Amino acid sequence: MALIAIIDDDPDIIEASTLVLKSKGYDIISAGDPEEGYRIVSENKPQLIILDVMMDEPDDGFFLAQKFRRDGFNIPILMYTSVSKTIGFEYGSGEMVPVDDFVEKPISPDQLVEKVEALLQKEIKRSE
Amino acid sequence: MNTYKPRILIVDDERGLREGSKRLLEGEGYLVDTAENGTEGISLGVKNDYDIAVIDLKMPDIEGLEVLQEIKKQRPNTICFIATAFASYETAVESTRLGAFSYIPKPFTPEELFHQLKQGYKQRTLLLEAERLKKEREETLLEVAHEQSRLKTIIESISSGVLLVNREGEVVYFNHSTLQKLSIDNLEIGEYILDKLPTQISEILNQLLNSDNIMHKAKTTQVEIMPKGQLFIEATCSPVPHPDGSFAGVVIVLKNITGFKQVEQIKNQFVSMVAHELKTPIAAVLGYLKLILDENIAVSYEQQQEFLGRSHIRLQGLLDLVNDLLDISRMELKTKQREIEVINISEVIESTLQFLEFEIKKKGIVLVKDIKDQLPLLSADQNEINRVFINLISNAIKYNRDKGSITITCRLKGNYIITAISDTGIGLKPEEKSKLFQEFYRAKNKNTRGISGTGLGLSIVSRIVECYHGKIDVESEYEKGSTFTVYLPINK
Repeated sequence: MALIAIIDDDPDIIEASTLVLKSKGYDIISAGDPEEGYRIVSENKPQLIILDVMMDEPDDGFFLAQKFRRDGFNIPILMYTSVSKTIGFEYGSGEMVPVDDFVEKPISPDQLVEKVEALLQKEIKRSE
Repeated sequence: MNTYKPRILIVDDERGLREGSKRLLEGEGYLVDTAENGTEGISLGVKNDYDIAVIDLKMPDIEGLEVLQEIKKQRPNTICFIATAFASYETAVESTRLGAFSYIPKPFTPEELFHQLKQGYKQRTLLLEAERLKKEREETLLEVAHEQSRLKTIIESISSGVLLVNREGEVVYFNHSTLQKLSIDNLEIGEYILDKLPTQISEILNQLLNSDNIMHKAKTTQVEIMPKGQLFIEATCSPVPHPDGSFAGVVIVLKNITGFKQVEQIKNQFVSMVAHELKTPIAAVLGYLKLILDENIAVSYEQQQEFLGRSHIRLQGLLDLVNDLLDISRMELKTKQREIEVINISEVIESTLQFLEFEIKKKGIVLVKDIKDQLPLLSADQNEINRVFINLISNAIKYNRDKGSITITCRLKGNYIITAISDTGIGLKPEEKSKLFQEFYRAKNKNTRGISGTGLGLSIVSRIVECYHGKIDVESEYEKGSTFTVYLPINK
């Protein structure tokens, strides 16, 4: 089963997400800040990254995603967003935000699993 | 000629004629002066504004024509007649050329003289009236000129840019501030302006200029002017009608709104940060609840208990945050009713320490106190000062290491009571120190993980301290500890 890295500074979000994904049989590694996040990804080579958009600073998630891409990590990234709807700002993926999909917090288990599966499927097709 | 008596000067070297004429004319209601030669004639004629002068052509000292010239030079409205026995066509032409109204050949009958003088006086009245009108017109013009220059001075003094554009889109008028607001070096009267304006403004201007009917509503837009640092302007374009109501042009007023924009930006940032801070715990709690409620995911009883416990903590944190926000908002609006009373600061510190006794003991923290006796009293709101010390001392506990120490010193220096609270905790990196008093800033690193806080505590502390014209300082060494020093002014 695939290995997924969750990078979020909220331990409760990591805990809940971990439980959801573990219940579907995924293996999970996690980190609470961008630095540690980068380390666990480079060391464990997960098949998918779940990345919170706003850690210490509002754009930490973006910068980490950009760093992953620059450094050749081409695995899918699913981004957790938090206030986009609240402040009327919709993220779109692109060069600035090089991620594959978004999940708006609070996370619902079904939606999370659905998006994770879809991204992993796409990744399998792409590598075939 | 009932009330006003026309004044006449008679210049003649011939005494009989001079006196005869004087008598004759005084009988007719004239006021008459006489001069017996040219020199005297000039001197009288220049000194007084006679209605009429009758000047003899041939005099021993000065020629009549010269007297005529001199008088006319100074008194252009005095009607001059040349009287002479040596009548010739040439002298007649010459004297009228030099300004004589007419020519009286000698000898003349009284009727001839009266008739001529009446004509002359009529002319004099016309001349005076003309002059009065001219003067009046000049005064009005002068007033208009004054008015215009006053208006111009006023418009130049306005800090907003004022730009007037005609129907063809050409500059009719602009004040100096216009250049600065549009960040352009030069504008010419008559120059086509639309290409020089920022797009948003020229679009509105185009709409106004090209509409069939004159619009009676001003249109406003906000533009960011880039080249010279940050500059936001608000441009209000108002149609200007001619007096008959037809469309004359557009006046554009350019106002610097950079300050407002910055405040707006800060407000937006604050709102989005508040939204984020409020939503984060809600997202965590909802995440747990969804997990517990999800039938497809097996959650053990112990896990459920843990999730509910975590949710409880997060909701408590959310409540603290909302309370802190309300405090800040009250302080900001200054609606907080301060109950100013006399406060003994050592008592405040003692009661705070009692309040936090449990946390201090739990962490095994050693307390060192050096509080000077008989410190002067403060005038302040008890709750606010309590808040300051509860926030600072509970931070000193929260961010301390286990079995660390807290040192509290309190002394008087000048007009200030200076309280320093030192801990032996995680300390701050220099870059963290500068942001410490900002709303929602929390130093986030491996040492702070698991320590809860709203990110508003120190911001509230500094707001309270500043309210009392005091200040707060922080000294810190990363992973060694921090000292927060509060300066509060005493009662004078």
